[in-house]
Amino acid sequence: MTLNVKVFRFNPETDKVPRFDTFKIEEFPNMAVLDVVMNIQNYHDPTLAYRCSCRIGMCGSCAMYINGRPRLACRTQVSSLGTKDITIMPLPNLPIIRDLAVDMEPFFEKYKKIKPYLIPKQDLKEPVICKPDSGERELIDYMLECITCGACYGACTMVATDPHYLGPAALTRAYCLIADKRDAATRERLVIVEQSEGVWRCHTQFNCAEVCPKKIVPTQAIQQLKKRCVFKRLGLFRG
Amino acid sequence: MYTFKNRSQVWDTVGMWAWLFHRVTGLALVFYIILHIVLMGTSLLRGPETFNSVLGFLMGSTLFLILDLLLAAAVLYHGLNGIRILLFDIGIGFNRQKEIFWVLMAAGLVIYLFLLWRVLPEIF
Repeated sequence: MTLNVKVFRFNPETDKVPRFDTFKIEEFPNMAVLDVVMNIQNYHDPTLAYRCSCRIGMCGSCAMYINGRPRLACRTQVSSLGTKDITIMPLPNLPIIRDLAVDMEPFFEKYKKIKPYLIPKQDLKEPVICKPDSGERELIDYMLECITCGACYGACTMVATDPHYLGPAALTRAYCLIADKRDAATRERLVIVEQSEGVWRCHTQFNCAEVCPKKIVPTQAIQQLKKRCVFKRLGLFRG
Repeated sequence: MYTFKNRSQVWDTVGMWAWLFHRVTGLALVFYIILHIVLMGTSLLRGPETFNSVLGFLMGSTLFLILDLLLAAAVLYHGLNGIRILLFDIGIGFNRQKEIFWVLMAAGLVIYLFLLWRVLPEIF
């Protein structure tokens, strides 16, 4: 089986406008889109630029816009696309370095804004107890699966229309820390996310949840944060 | 240094279209309410004869009644999708948002067909 692959090409140093190159690639069993991209670079055009690392969906480097959606190239089987025509473009909403490689800096700048690390409570004498059956870490635990691939960031129409919006990944991380009993910087982080370009830019469109390769629903985290922001303004927020 | 971005968006998700139609119907309803209040208010101020003739003209017009059916569709959609959004505000339904949308739309269709069945004989 032959695949018709259209690949986005753009080199900011030499090109004024981007173009599409078309390649005919032989499909092999269990071929992932990343295999297609590597095949092009190995046998057709060695100048193709893209980013990848682990090939098993845990490093979050190879998110690309594949057939109308941001997806992890390594975790997207060609057979799952349901067509032999594949269009590969760089991740939307991020500046392009070259071809399929985007600059993740704006994404991580926003990620840093919410202080994405645990700031432990210093005054605790006893260890914090999180009972397994209490369900309080039910959301946190699966949201910690985030690999910061930026697929949600590329799929979010609110990120596309507002360059200052923090985006689903940063807000999900903020929720994981704000909901964490052991964290001391809860209020500090809430002040950052309660801005209009924080949680309130989310309009529950669920594009982030649709494209997340880890099946995380950032919308749920953002709604939880909205609730806490309202409680905080009303002076009812504890913790 | 690098200025070019891929501006392609995701077009095949239910939630985004649900939001877009919610916005469009919401704005349409706001404009409708302003128009409605201004029209009713000004014709009332001019006395009962004016009010009756305005209302008689509107209710006698087939075009106006068809527009009223569109209004009913907008109210129905906005209300039903509003239920879905309220569920998210309470904190439930995140993993079933698409199913909730289609169930509500099916309910809306049933209600709207019932409405048409009752109203269409009155218009034509």
